[in-house]
Amino acid sequence: MNQKITRRRLAAAALGSAAALRAAQPAAASPEDPRAAAQEQLRKNSEAIGKTQLSMSTEPAFSFKA
Amino acid sequence: MAEFTDDIFFATIGELNAKLRAKEFSAHELVRAFAQRLEKLGPRYNALALPLTETAIHLARDVDKELKRERYRGPLQGIPFGAKDLLSCAGQITTWGARPYAAQVFDYTATVLKKLEKTGSVLIGKLAMVELAGGGGYHSAGASMFGPGLNPWDRTRWSGGSSSGSGSAVAAGLVPFALGSETNGSILTPAAFCGVTGLRPTYGLVSRHGAMPLSWTMDKIGPLCRSAEDCALVLEVISGSDAEDPGSARKSFYYARQYYRQPKDLRIGYAPADFAESTQPSARPAFERALAVIRETGAQLIETKLPDLPYREVTSTIILSEGVSVFEPLITSGKIDELADPHQIAGLKTALDIPARDYLKAMRIRTIVQQKVRSMFGELDILLAPSRFGPASKISEPINRPTPTGPGLSALTAAGNLAGLPALSLPCGFADGMPVAIQLVGPAFSENMLLAMGKEFQTRTDWHRKHPKVS
Repeated sequence: MNQKITRRRLAAAALGSAAALRAAQPAAASPEDPRAAAQEQLRKNSEAIGKTQLSMSTEPAFSFKA
Repeated sequence: MAEFTDDIFFATIGELNAKLRAKEFSAHELVRAFAQRLEKLGPRYNALALPLTETAIHLARDVDKELKRERYRGPLQGIPFGAKDLLSCAGQITTWGARPYAAQVFDYTATVLKKLEKTGSVLIGKLAMVELAGGGGYHSAGASMFGPGLNPWDRTRWSGGSSSGSGSAVAAGLVPFALGSETNGSILTPAAFCGVTGLRPTYGLVSRHGAMPLSWTMDKIGPLCRSAEDCALVLEVISGSDAEDPGSARKSFYYARQYYRQPKDLRIGYAPADFAESTQPSARPAFERALAVIRETGAQLIETKLPDLPYREVTSTIILSEGVSVFEPLITSGKIDELADPHQIAGLKTALDIPARDYLKAMRIRTIVQQKVRSMFGELDILLAPSRFGPASKISEPINRPTPTGPGLSALTAAGNLAGLPALSLPCGFADGMPVAIQLVGPAFSENMLLAMGKEFQTRTDWHRKHPKVS
């Protein structure tokens, strides 16, 4: 079935997915609360690291030499 | 008794050495003058951790005896210096800038300090620093038991960290040079903010034995000086193999700029955005002029950018994971609550929860960072970017202001530290009356090339000769 995508429908879909994304994320850390800010930093670190694709053969830089 | 004026207090090592050799003053007169100045003015910038005046004058008299016998040990002989208070000095208090360690005394001396003493250089004081070198992630300039590092160009502004005392002491003419350390920007930042020349050596080139460990795989010791050439003279002494340092690369450094390629033969990678929209508007004219000077040397400027990788997040994860392992006893004892910055306390406590999965993944990504950056040096000799993207912030402001994240080399400090690469920070002008600087990053063990390029830059500019009014 061919469904026509109107601008209104597109906007509603975009707003819906943004709202769903916001709901899925924990509340932003208050800059006044050091513990919450630290946890938020770790969460961001973990998320960024998790997103990076590596081959299974990539070993850690343990015997570190420049 | 010789009269000591700004000409002496802001002289380079080479100039001071020439005056010593010409007997314009003795080593002990020179050391006494600097030590007294450091004691008097160091507290003005919260730069002084521990004066060592009496010991220093005693050592300087020994140097004079050697000079009288014409026993020359090199250009650093008789030159006073300061050291970041994370370097142990046997029998003296070493605080690491942190109140829980305010009474800490080691019975051994850091390898770098022993090497400098052997060459006749005289330690006149330990210099203030950000507590624990900022390993927990600090948010304020006041993250030190010595108070916020105050910038000699404007005491309402930060001197940078974590080698805050090293930066401000050199800038204010309280020491001819100082040792600092860098895990992720702690030499480059105070060097840039204070308008002095700073060198971060290749990982493993300089022994860390006797230095506070924060991140075993990322810590480096290096000099902050008045010029690139001075950095070379200091590096030549402090570099070299050390069985006491498991990370030692077992390599030495010999300053030989005459054997390095001419600037016209160098290919320098840069990202135009780093010198324009990514920087603070007030700093753009200075950075544009710096680029023009690099062009005038004949070097070929080539547009480039870092591969898209989470450099800052990987760096943060590695430093926190290794740092929390080092400082676990501090955390579990509860003494961590004596630190000055609540964000440091929270950062280290929270880091206990970093899963091994994240640390291992970060170290695996680091392997990729090393490979990718190394491959950039197949086509380029040097990477060029601002050391910091604007001048020093006010000490009343949070210091964790956002850094640019766009494509380019804005993450060069993190990438360079992850890959263990050397970097040279060169003053390149002023913005809002405060110094700004560029950094040159090269392949591992390319210090001679960076220093030769730095020397060329400083032959064509006089930013490194500017100093604040200090009284």
